[in-house]
Parts: sequence; C-alpha cells; structure tokens
Amino acid sequence: MRSVNDKLGWTRIDWKTILVFVLLVFIGWLNIYAAVYNEALTGGFALSSRYGMQLLWIGISAIVAIVILLIDDIYYHLLAYPFYGLMLVVLVLTLFVGKEVNGAKSWLALGPVAIQPAEFMKLATALALARFMSEYNFSLHNPKGVVGVGALLLVPILVILMQNDTGSAMVYCSFLVVLYREGLNSWVYYAIFLIVGLFVGSFLLSPTALLIALIVLFVVSQLLSNRNPKESAIYVAGSGLLSLVIYAISWFAGWGMDYHGSLLTASLVMLIPALLYAYRHKLSTIYLFALMYGGANLFLGAVDYVFNNILLLHQRKRILDLLGLESDLRGWGYNVHQSKIAIGSGGFSGKGFLEGTQTKYDFIPEQSTDFIFCTVGEEWGFLGAVVVLTLFAVLIIRLMKMGERQQEPFRRVYCYGVAGVFLFHVIINIGMTIGLMPVIGIPLPMFSYGGSSLLAFTVLFFIAVRLDSQNSAIGATYKPY
Amino acid sequence: MSSHRSDILKWFVIGLFVVLGLRLFHIQIIDRSYRDAAENNVLRYEVQHPPRGEIYDRNGEFLAQSVASYDLMVVPRNIPKTGFDTVALARIAGVSVEQLAKSLRSAKSYSSSRASVVVRQMTTEAKLLFDEGNFDGFYTLFRTQRSYPRKIAGNLLGYIGQVSDKIIDRNPYYSRGDYIGYSGIESAYEELLRGEKGEKVSVVDVRGTIKGSYQEGHYDKAPVAGTPITTTIDAPLQEFAERLMKGKVGSVIAIEPSTGEILVMVSSPTYDPDDLMGRDRGNNYVKMLENPRQPLFNRAVMSSYPPGSTFKLVNGLIGLQEGVVTASRRYPCENGYKVGRGVKCHSHRSPLNLKEATANSCNAYFCYVFRDILDNPSRGGICNGGYENWAKYVESFGFGKKLGSDFASERGGFVPTADFYDDYYPKWNSLTVISMAIGQGELGCSPLQMANLAATIANRGYYYIPHVVKHIEGRDSLDSRFYERHYTMVESKHYDPIIDGMWGTVHREIGTAGVAYVKGLDICGKTGTAQNPHGKDHSTFLAFAPKEDPQIAISVYVENGGFGSSVAAPIASLLIEQYINGKVERPELVEYIEKMEIAYPNYEKRKR
Repeated sequence: MRSVNDKLGWTRIDWKTILVFVLLVFIGWLNIYAAVYNEALTGGFALSSRYGMQLLWIGISAIVAIVILLIDDIYYHLLAYPFYGLMLVVLVLTLFVGKEVNGAKSWLALGPVAIQPAEFMKLATALALARFMSEYNFSLHNPKGVVGVGALLLVPILVILMQNDTGSAMVYCSFLVVLYREGLNSWVYYAIFLIVGLFVGSFLLSPTALLIALIVLFVVSQLLSNRNPKESAIYVAGSGLLSLVIYAISWFAGWGMDYHGSLLTASLVMLIPALLYAYRHKLSTIYLFALMYGGANLFLGAVDYVFNNILLLHQRKRILDLLGLESDLRGWGYNVHQSKIAIGSGGFSGKGFLEGTQTKYDFIPEQSTDFIFCTVGEEWGFLGAVVVLTLFAVLIIRLMKMGERQQEPFRRVYCYGVAGVFLFHVIINIGMTIGLMPVIGIPLPMFSYGGSSLLAFTVLFFIAVRLDSQNSAIGATYKPY
Repeated sequence: MSSHRSDILKWFVIGLFVVLGLRLFHIQIIDRSYRDAAENNVLRYEVQHPPRGEIYDRNGEFLAQSVASYDLMVVPRNIPKTGFDTVALARIAGVSVEQLAKSLRSAKSYSSSRASVVVRQMTTEAKLLFDEGNFDGFYTLFRTQRSYPRKIAGNLLGYIGQVSDKIIDRNPYYSRGDYIGYSGIESAYEELLRGEKGEKVSVVDVRGTIKGSYQEGHYDKAPVAGTPITTTIDAPLQEFAERLMKGKVGSVIAIEPSTGEILVMVSSPTYDPDDLMGRDRGNNYVKMLENPRQPLFNRAVMSSYPPGSTFKLVNGLIGLQEGVVTASRRYPCENGYKVGRGVKCHSHRSPLNLKEATANSCNAYFCYVFRDILDNPSRGGICNGGYENWAKYVESFGFGKKLGSDFASERGGFVPTADFYDDYYPKWNSLTVISMAIGQGELGCSPLQMANLAATIANRGYYYIPHVVKHIEGRDSLDSRFYERHYTMVESKHYDPIIDGMWGTVHREIGTAGVAYVKGLDICGKTGTAQNPHGKDHSTFLAFAPKEDPQIAISVYVENGGFGSSVAAPIASLLIEQYINGKVERPELVEYIEKMEIAYPNYEKRKR
C-alpha cells in the first residue's frame, strides 16, 4: 500500500484539506436537496431533479479529482500556456455560438450539457499566471513583469465582459491576492481601499463630513510618517479659519458657495505653504499625500457626476439599495430582502433540515444557485452558517499555507491563486445574501447548483493538492501537517 | 517581506470572515425584525385589473360595455391535504367536474406555489356563492368582460382576446392572461381603453392566508380604469344597415360630410360581437375563420374593389378642371365607344351632355373625356406627363393611398402609375387604359375611399379624414389630422354640373336610380355596376343628401349584386331616409331588401 502511494506520490497528499473540501461538497449537496425539496414531489429520489443532477456532477468531479491526482505535476507546468490559449479560443467562440442565459452569452452547449467556459478560464489563468510569475528573473518590480501579468488577466476579462457576464469578470479581482503575496506595490492596495472607501463614503456621509474625514486621514498619515505635529496643526487650523473666512465672504457677496466648497477651497489653498514647507525640508511623502488628496476630491466629483448623469436609473437604485439608502422591494432589492428574511429567520439553531419555509416556497429566485446560502442560514441557523464559514476559512487559509511551504514559485503562485479565487467567491456570494455586497451573480463554491462551477472548483483545488504532494523534499522545510 | 505579507493576508482573510460572521450574528440573533417578517410572512403581489373603457355611439348609447367577471384562481399547494368538495366547486363555477380536475392538474404542473387560473369569467353570482363556501387554496380575481348590448358593429368595434406570448415579449406592459384589442376600435385605441393595471401587495403567511395589506398599502397601486370612448357611430342606423345587408356580402359606409365622422360602417357578413367573448369564444372564432364568406375580414377598410361607374364622377370633375370638357359639351353614343377595342354601353338617347351622361351613366361619354385628359397636348400627352397628371388628380381624392383613418388595418387600394404600364406593355396609349374611364381595369379602392368620395363631392371639393372616434373622455380634441380639410385639385365651381348629374340619377327620367328617390330629400347619387372576374357584377351606389347642405354621404357596395340600382341604390336610399327623416315609409322595400339573399358560388367554392 505504502509503496503504491509512494510511487504515485500520494504519501504527501494533504488529506486534511481534502477532507474539508469533501465536507463542503457534502453539505452543499444537502442544501441543494433542501432548496429544491418540495412536499408535492415526494416521489423519492429523482435523477432528473437538480439534486440528482448535482449528485451526478459530484460523481464526475470525484473521478476527475482522482485522475488529477494521478497526473505528474510536470504536465501542469508544461500545459499551462497551451491550456490558457485553448480556453481563450473557447471563450471567444462562446461569443459567437454561445447560448444566452439571463442576458449573458456565456454558455456553450456540448450535446446534452451546457458548460460555462468562464469557469474554466479562471483555472487556465491561475496556471498561466503561475507559470509566468515563476519564470527566471521575473519580478513585479519591473514594468515588463507588471505588463505581462496585466495582459494575462485583462485579455480574459475583456472577452468575458463582451459576453456581458460582469460577475465572472469581477472574479479576476481575486488575483490581487496572489499579486500581493508576490510583492506588488502596496500603494496599489492603499489606492484600491481608498477608492472603495471614498465610493461608499460618498453615499453614506455628507460631502462636508467626508471632506473633513479625508483631511484628517491625510494629515494624520503625513504626521505619522514625518512626525511634525506643529506644522500639521498649523495646516488644519489654517484651513479651518480660511474656510470660515471664504464662507463669510461668499455669503456677503452672494456667490452661493456652500461650506463644503469653502472648506475644499481653503484646504487646497493651504496646500501651497504646505508644499513650500515640503520643498524646504525635502519631505517627499507630503507631495504624495497632497497628490492623493487632490485625486480623492477629483474622484468624489467624478462619482457624483457619473452617478447623477451617466448611470441609468436601475443602476443608481442598485447602488442606493446596497448601501441601505433606498429600498425597492419589488425590483432588485427583492432578492436581497427575501434572502435576508430567510437567513434572519433561521435564528440561532435554524429551523431544521427540510423545515425551511422561506427558502422552500419559491420566495427567493435563483435559490439553488446564487442564493443557496439562504438555505444554510434558514435551516441550520447561525450555528450552521458559522460552521460553513469556518470550513471555508480553514480551506482558504490551508491553501495559503500550502502555498507558503512550496519550494518552487510555480506551485506557490498557483496555490495562492486558487486561495484568492475561493476567497473572492465565498466573500462576495455570502456577503450578497446578507446584504453586505452588491448582487453579483457568482456561485458559492461547492454549494451552488451547477456542473461547470463544481467541476471547475474541483479541478482548481485538486491541482493545488497535486502540486503540493509533489513538492520537492529537498531543502526539507516540508512537514506533513 | 513575503512571510510578512503572508501573515497580513492570513489576518485579512480571517478579518473578512469575522465580518461575515458578525453580520450573520446581527441578522440572525440580534435583529428580530427578519424573524417577524418571516413569521408574517411573505408578500404577495396581486395584479388588479382595471375595467376596460366603455365604447359609446354618437348619442351616448353603449356599443361595448364592461361587466364584472371573476377568474377562479388556485395556488395548488394551499389546497388542504384532506381535499375539498370538487362537485360543489364545479357546480358553482359552472363547469363539469372533469373540466375542473383537468385545469387543476395543469395548474399543478405549472407550479404548486404560484397562482393559476382554474375557471375563467365566472359571473358575480357565482363569485358570491364561492365566497360562501370555504375553499382553501382558491380565490377569485376581479376582471371585466365585454358585453355588447346591441350586438352590432362586430368588425368596427373589433374583438379582444388574451395576449399572445409574442406580444408579451415585445411589450412589457402585458403579462399572461391579460386582454388586448386585436382589431377595430379595440385595437386602434388599445392604450386608452385598457387603462392601467394596479397592484396590491399583501402579507401572506406560509399557508397562503392573507394577513392584511403590506405597510398599510404604501406599495399598492390602484388600477386606473380604461378611458371611455365616444364613437361617431349612429347605433340605430348601424343596426338598420346591418339588417339590410343580411344575406349579402359587401359593405356600407356613411359619413357626415361636414366633419368626416363615420356614421355607419358595415362589413357584411357581420357577426355578433358577444360570440367572441366568454367561454365559447374559441369555438366561435374557429367557426368564423372557417366561414368562406370571411366575417372577420373588415371589407369596409380592407378590401379593394373596382369602383365601377361611380368613378366617372372623378373623371368628369378632372375633365372640367382641365378644361377638356364643359357642362354643355355633347358626345354621341351608339351603344358604346367605338374606337379601338371599344367600350359597350346600354342603349339610351344620344347625344348627351355632361349632366345627362352622369345621370345616365353613359360609358362612351366618359371615354371621350378620359382620353382627352390623358392625351391633353398642353400636358404633354399621355407619355410625357399626361398620365401622371391624371393620377395626381385621382390621388387628391384620397385614392391609391391610405386615408389615415383610425383603423390600423386600413388599406390604400390601387391607382396604377405610368411605370406600372411601362412594365406591362412595350407601348401603350390612352386606349390601352380606357377601362379606367368607367372605373374598371386596374383601379382598386376600398369602400371607405368611395364613401369619402361621396363626402368630398357633397362638400364641393374637400374632405376630412374619415374617423370613427368622436370624443375621448378627458381630452378636448382628437388628433389634429381629423380637423384638416383636404382639398382636391378640382375647384369648387366644377362640382355643380356633376352634382346636378347625380341629382338627375335619382330624379330624372333618364337617371339610372329612380328607385332611390325619396320625396323632399333631394338625394344625389351615382350607380355603379362593376364588372369583375369572380362572377356576377358588383352592385354599388354612392350618394349624399340633401343636395344643399348635405347631412350624410354614403357608399354601398354589394358583391355580385348586379346593377347598381338593383340592391345598392335602395339600401343607400333607405339609410338616408332613416337618417334624415328618422323613419322609413317604404316597408315593402325594406322587406324586399331584407329578404334578398344573394348566392356566392365563388366563396362557397373556396371552402375545402
């Protein structure tokens, strides 16, 4: 037995992580069963039903998983680029001969089954990215590397966007995780967080409050890096006083400028002495912060303009609904509202398996696919939901640890890529069902009904396991967990 | 650096999951409102159908009414497991137990949790009985149904029916089970008549029992009733016309010349509009489709007939305007026009002047006039603008194009262009097209266009676009196109000799339609006996009355009716008499016309 395992390289397979994966698949299937379960259809087990079909896909995925574990890992390295190219061709082909579902032309009919090539494109991208980033003398610190990575990511994103499948395209954000691990400049991430924060803030806070928050944020950041409390205080006090003066003048002169405008003007005017001070003392970070402050205000203006003049009514409603500012129970908000009722009504321990009332009676559309987490929340309650969350968190962290212990960059990059994809799917999907994230139609891994998605996640995951199991023992940092 | 970053990533992941967990903790354990919402439980959106707008005749009498009816709905999963009294329900709903079982099965196969219609169009009494019985899982939905008190004007009013999937795809307003106007006024004014659907949001518990309205009706929308429409139709006259047209295929249209309002529009055979409502609708519809005489085909606006001799009026008017003929010009007629292949004529005294030729419907006379118009050297002769000049005149009378009435299905008839003949004949001249002198040949026009010609002549040279809607509730006026005068290219003064001729048709010894004479009404008319390839000649008559200050213009077209004077003229005369005098004093003529049945071997042949 052991010898056979050795020959296959199975001795070092991370069985514990596989166990977590299998548990999630099993719980996922139970919930699909519950979601489509209907008293009227008590005719026992039907293969043609969704849970029957899903079981079939689980079987297929199991076989595929075993095959993956049998293939020598050198092939994943070798075939990374050809596979990427092939999938890209299939993706483009789908644009022309694909089937349209819910407005997105993203399905390809292969005889009796329909697959979603975008699901497999993620896999191909993860492999190709791993291959590219493990090339000799690759670095994210030189432009060539960044451009190459950008191209590998942007090409599939563009094709998927052309299919009108925004959700699948957004999944490519998940590669930001592996790029961070591999050393992409932190400023990129600060900028992303700042932009997201500004965007959400621009709806939740009044313009003046947001402006004050921005000033405080940048002054404090600047203070932390340059340790100059006196000058910082002068800037803040000066801006405050100047803004009052401008406001008073504009009031008497009848310009009609509001306080937000006055403060913005004052803070910008006060940047002049600040920049002079920076020049004199050679404090280059101040330039950067000043630039970001200006950029942030431009961005806010642009958000305002885009929101009021470019976005269509239903798009505006979506955003307002997500931020809890306006509720349209009939339109888009309906799904999320019903979903929250279902999950909320689960309470601490849930209503019990097959006892969910909200999820069973068609109140939630897409319930066995994108909104499958409602069933978990309603029937298993907070307890069950936390168990599922924990399993996902364990799976993702174990995948990241798996990456850390790899000797070769190829394996590490791939493992982190997979971890990122899982993370993005789980956070966005579950966040959507509880009203924390916008409604983006992407599946919950291993839970949502659908063969393409299950198979794609299985392949993604098991290739990582396979790569890990053949991690070279030379150097011997490897410890079986 | 990297291991530092991997730690940050790990905590980032854990942080995200903690946020999700906290949010779950909040909505599942702290905030009870979600549980209450689930208890209470879910919202049901019920469509509220508005009553369809009523249709009145010009004097405010109902042509189409909306009466309450109820659809019996079911949500299959809410039917108690113990079953219910199917016999009682079937009896109340007025269907057989088998039918009820069948629609229940189809409802179940559609969805166990969504509502389906079980029985359509129950009466109010049935609804009250249903409410007394306690049938869980079932409820009734208020709808309205059309009813037609006079049972007239089937093609004119049009019919309504359930929307097809194709319409639903195109127009988001409609959803399954809605009604839409498919023809006639119902279709032309659909957007006004249908009103605006409302919506009621109720809170329903898991068992489907309504707990009350949601947030005190904040999200409800009341239905807006359809807009009533007053038509220009004179209901008693319409009914009389339909009676007279019984047993004949053809069409009657009467117009008030001073406004363009359509007083009567009959397409015969007609049908009882009630037949296309209610539960027998399907069967009746198929029967009508299979009827070889095509009762669903609105001949009044959709057919294209040769106008026959009535068209001589147009040629006469054009001749006068072009100066190629004068009122006193005489032409001989020896049983016809002898040039070329020739055109035959009946025997009458000769020569005749224009008035006499009009009254007597002399073929030869109008052949002379027609050729002179076409070959007029001052217009360049037939090949260099003479023909186009004539065609332009004809179009100014509303022929060869749609008039723009409020019937979507209106067709424009046919006035051939010079190119048309160029394609047909390598060489052609005025003799090639001579049959159009007497309204035969390639010419085609709808009965509406012929009635419009009568109105144009009555007005001495202009018409208003004929229309069937007089007033829309809540609006001051109709579409502006109905208030514009459309002048013909013939000056007003030239109409007098032609009108004198038309007066002569009815009043003079020489006239062809003495039968149409009614004392004191000064009816002016023109007979037509249109040859056609399908059998016996069509009988047609075009008239208006009185001669001065005309109140009614009318066109009667009876397929295969023979001479214009034999069927069409008496019908027109009776209708004018009824309209102006309010009564008819020729009961024997009425009886004679009513009893007249015309045989249509060509239609019956078509039946497979």
